[in-house]
Amino acid sequence: MEKSASADGREHWMALEGGTDGSLGRAPYTSRFVGIGASIPERRQSSDELMASTKYRTDIDLERLTGVRERRIAGEGEDSYTLALGAARDALASADCAAEDLDVLIMSSISHYVGGLRWQLDPPVSVLLKEALGARRAMSFDISNACAGMMTGVFILNDMIRQGRIRRGMVVSGEYISQLGVNAALEVRTMMDDQLASLTVGDAGAAAILERAPDGAPGLEVAGFTTLAEHSRLCLAFPARVGRGAAMYSDARALQEVGIEDTVPMLRETLDQAGLRFDEIDYFIPHQTSARAIKKGVKEFSEILGGAPKHVVVTVDEFGNTSSTTHFLALWKYLSEGRFVKDDRVLLLSIASGLEVGIVIFKVDGLVGRHGHDH
Amino acid sequence: MGTIIEASATATATAHQRSLTPGALQLADAAARSCLERAERTAEELDLLINAGVFHDRILSEPALASLIQEDIGANLDRPAVAGRGTFSFDVSNGACGLLTGISLVDGMLASGTVELGMVVASDMDPQPGVSEGFSFPGVGGAVLLSADDSRAGFTAFQFATFPELAGQFYSYVDWHDDAERGLAGGGQNTITVEITESYATRALECAESTARELAGAQALDLGEVDLLVATASVPGFGEALATRLGIPGERVASLPDGLDGAHTAAPAVALESVQLAEASTALFVSAGAGITVAVALYRA
Repeated sequence: MEKSASADGREHWMALEGGTDGSLGRAPYTSRFVGIGASIPERRQSSDELMASTKYRTDIDLERLTGVRERRIAGEGEDSYTLALGAARDALASADCAAEDLDVLIMSSISHYVGGLRWQLDPPVSVLLKEALGARRAMSFDISNACAGMMTGVFILNDMIRQGRIRRGMVVSGEYISQLGVNAALEVRTMMDDQLASLTVGDAGAAAILERAPDGAPGLEVAGFTTLAEHSRLCLAFPARVGRGAAMYSDARALQEVGIEDTVPMLRETLDQAGLRFDEIDYFIPHQTSARAIKKGVKEFSEILGGAPKHVVVTVDEFGNTSSTTHFLALWKYLSEGRFVKDDRVLLLSIASGLEVGIVIFKVDGLVGRHGHDH
Repeated sequence: MGTIIEASATATATAHQRSLTPGALQLADAAARSCLERAERTAEELDLLINAGVFHDRILSEPALASLIQEDIGANLDRPAVAGRGTFSFDVSNGACGLLTGISLVDGMLASGTVELGMVVASDMDPQPGVSEGFSFPGVGGAVLLSADDSRAGFTAFQFATFPELAGQFYSYVDWHDDAERGLAGGGQNTITVEITESYATRALECAESTARELAGAQALDLGEVDLLVATASVPGFGEALATRLGIPGERVASLPDGLDGAHTAAPAVALESVQLAEASTALFVSAGAGITVAVALYRA
């Protein structure tokens, strides 16, 4: 049976919601971000320090190769749960919102460490977060979608809010993944090693609160997602053989190549749906894998789509790849530093193992003034 | 317009034991394929694929198992330059309530018109036979295929509740175990452990009953109207015991067969194998699991 055109009469590769005329998704409401939170460990680890810990002499200049100067490392008593909890509280504070006002709470990290390097499968970590926050009314569950976890949570909440099923929800993540680097350091031998990407990761928590926007107020303009599953096995992670925590094996080069190539039509689709050109994006926040990959990707996107976004956000130099939290950690940093003005339009691009491609376009609007020195 | 179940299917480790070693992924793949066949649908028609299993092969944490299932069943793998619509896949983890949680998410995206056909798949299999501790769930996968139907009510209400004071009743985790027996310096392995207390079944029943009654109250549902109860909590006898508490006759319970009555995340799909959902005018789905978390859904023909 042929797949028919969607309800709006058009063919889309992505699952898409929103658009210039609001036609996609038959939605009576618009959702908007109302609070962004983060939780960042104190301890910093430079790439030189990490590479000095490798078991074998590698001669890899990690900082030059990836642009990762340093990353944060969870300290005593910190894990996925505590990082997520800290970010959730920060987001609630920035949104001037009580936990009891949350209708949905989604935990979206890859890592589920609770109580050190103990990976919790049951109960879902969201149950613990709900209790600790006092989000009494919230429906809670965990999702997992590699580094696209938080963006997937945003897509889900956006759908629920636009339909009027809920008024307000939070997606939160706590990534305690620096142990990937510790384990990789025991095995990595060359620059071509399939655990090289594990040396670029860092720990962080992030949270985003979405709510129903008042009538006429700006919010999420388009949200889209797809899974290009022919590439699903390019990056795999599971408990390590060599020690506590996990290990991750990836074909980083192939991931980067197909990620860039296959993302172009997705960007075109979402921009078209939003009625925008790429150069009308004020801030482009891609997934933070390496500075080199971001530079290459933006160059190709700009050449093919015509025009470049006004600003490209890079935080991988100071935080490393913090997995599912990267977009919201970057957003939080820029909000805290007062870099946005209300009219700025942001495009979040997730390219993650799966291969997941997720895109969200929104106006910063009311987020300005809710963070850092402005708040 | 309502979200209806077009088909459901299961796959058991016993039935697939001739194929290598059936793990959670193979069970999910088989259940998904069987479900599509029963509905006379193709994988290309899938817009949304959610996996809700907890115990994956190799305890895989990345990517989402759903993306591997998508690749295995061949759902829209072509590069996006090819015209058409793709498939969006991700995992939900909500213990034994995962399948119903996934169904509620598909229901939302069907209602918004974002997707037209969605599938929720769940499977569990001991990832470390002979090594894991306390793992007692049978190897089984289940799948439920959902679409919107203008002429039928389908799922009309969902109710979720958590009882965090009972979080210790059902606990599973992966942790490093030193390999002291073999005397290897620094040796050991990451091992999966499942701990379920003796009182879990009773506590789960109490939580499920209160949540089901809450939904009944909110929906003005007379529980006597329920002509099909699909109730699971990863422990044998849960459906029958809940029916007694809710005053629903035992013959209206979708029972799980021996050997699969302790099924974990796929249990609702397993229970559906024993009944004709289309013949039920009012079906009540109840799942309870670690948390303790309860999910209840009302399904009207």
